[in-house]
Amino acid sequence: MTFLEQVGRAAVVQVEDAGALTMQFWSVLRKLPRVLPVVGARRRWRSAVAQMFAIGASALPMSGAMALCTGFILALQSASELRKFGALELVVNLVALGFTRELGPLITALSVSGRSASAISAEIGTMVVTEEIDALRVMGLDPVEITLAPKYLAALITVPCLTILSTLCGIFAGYLFLAFSMEMSLRVYCQAVAETILLRDVGFMLVKSLVFATIIVHVGCLEGLRVRGGPEAVGHSTTAAVVKSTFLIILADLGATAIFYLMGWSATG
Amino acid sequence: MIDSSAAKAGDAVISIRGVSMSYSGRRVLDEVDLDVCRGEILVLLGGSGSGKTTLLKHVLGLAKPEAGSITINGVDITRCSQSELGAVRRRIGVAFQAGALFNSMSVEENVALPLRELTRLADSTIKLMAWMNLIAVGLSDAGSLYPPELSGGMRKRAAVARAMALDPEILILDEPSAGLDPIVSAGLDELILFLKRSFGITILVVTHELESAFHIADRVAMLYQGRLIAVDRKEQFTGNAHPRIRQFLDRQPDAMPRVAAEEFISTYLKGSTT
Repeated sequence: MTFLEQVGRAAVVQVEDAGALTMQFWSVLRKLPRVLPVVGARRRWRSAVAQMFAIGASALPMSGAMALCTGFILALQSASELRKFGALELVVNLVALGFTRELGPLITALSVSGRSASAISAEIGTMVVTEEIDALRVMGLDPVEITLAPKYLAALITVPCLTILSTLCGIFAGYLFLAFSMEMSLRVYCQAVAETILLRDVGFMLVKSLVFATIIVHVGCLEGLRVRGGPEAVGHSTTAAVVKSTFLIILADLGATAIFYLMGWSATG
Repeated sequence: MIDSSAAKAGDAVISIRGVSMSYSGRRVLDEVDLDVCRGEILVLLGGSGSGKTTLLKHVLGLAKPEAGSITINGVDITRCSQSELGAVRRRIGVAFQAGALFNSMSVEENVALPLRELTRLADSTIKLMAWMNLIAVGLSDAGSLYPPELSGGMRKRAAVARAMALDPEILILDEPSAGLDPIVSAGLDELILFLKRSFGITILVVTHELESAFHIADRVAMLYQGRLIAVDRKEQFTGNAHPRIRQFLDRQPDAMPRVAAEEFISTYLKGSTT
């Protein structure tokens, strides 16, 4: 096979990938209302709640602890430089802005991606291997509505919540550092944080976390559905799900941040 | 291949005409013609890789053939809309090879699932119907167990119970006796015959287990390398002279690989002694 052929084939695979991603996305989006409480089916909502525990609640300790550590690291790393200029209190701005705009959503997304993208693809992959997905189809039930849509809804609800909580953890870590190093009081710290963060930063954070949530659940489901063959294929799919979702999260983060910067929204008042 | 038992066209519940399929250049199904008549048990025999699973996937509408048509109850499922396909599928019950039971639900919930999702029956009615189906397959005391707690035979019975939940006209069983010991397997055969006797449903069984095939079948069809090489009443089928069928029925191995292996071993031994 010539080089050109290889490149062409790889390109076709990439395009097919993108196509499959979009197709699945639309089919899930159409089914999402069925999962909602009140208007949808009660059983779907119940399975969505179970998913919320699996994807969100049980990820809380990990992403919270990660955010706390990262906040402390960020404070420590910046403090030594800022101290030279006698501007140690700027740590507040750095931590507050850094976490709301960037680290909060990113750390949460990465921890959820590691836990749930793999879990989702393993679960769905196993259902494919054991013909459970086929069984649903043959019974005249829609696997998209029954197995995928609740996961999407759960991720879209829990990941932003997790993001808010881990952002708070990170910002709290900044306070811990300043309380120790310059005995800043919590009230002063909170005031400084409140002055730094604008509403659009929070909006940006939430939009990002929604995008990341979509990437995680979407890649996990798609990799699971693509499993062909035996149980070892499930293992490959979990690896692929984590690798792809992590990469796509970073890529989306870059894109979103670039837009934010180019629109001039990143200047602080 | 002409169907020698000459089913009348009106009798055929499933009618497969000229179905062909190939994966990456390899012909998996080659112009398959097959009728499954109302009320009969048709056993589709074939070795591994003969295309029987692929044919089954096509009959269930999980894959579309490259050529040919599959008509079930008068609807060509290769060309119909998604909703028509759904209506056809509601008249078919399928028990997959490994059961395909949902692990997060108990056996009873598994059997009740099609009723819960597709009917508007009251909860108590659904429970009763699920229980009756479990009694019919002999699992009345296993309703509260979860699929991983079941033995192989129980899992297949549960799968049959779920397949029967919507009172289907056609029951399709994929390898019902694969991986089961002779006693459990014989019990499953009896269950299949019982279902046919008492509900008069049409049953299509895909298998490679000869003994159970000839015990339950009205007619036997055999696939070899994607081609249907024989369809006959089971009494005539055993007398079929096709070399592949003889080989299959007499359990003779393929000649080639053994020769190749012997050759390989002898050359290897020669090489190592010199």
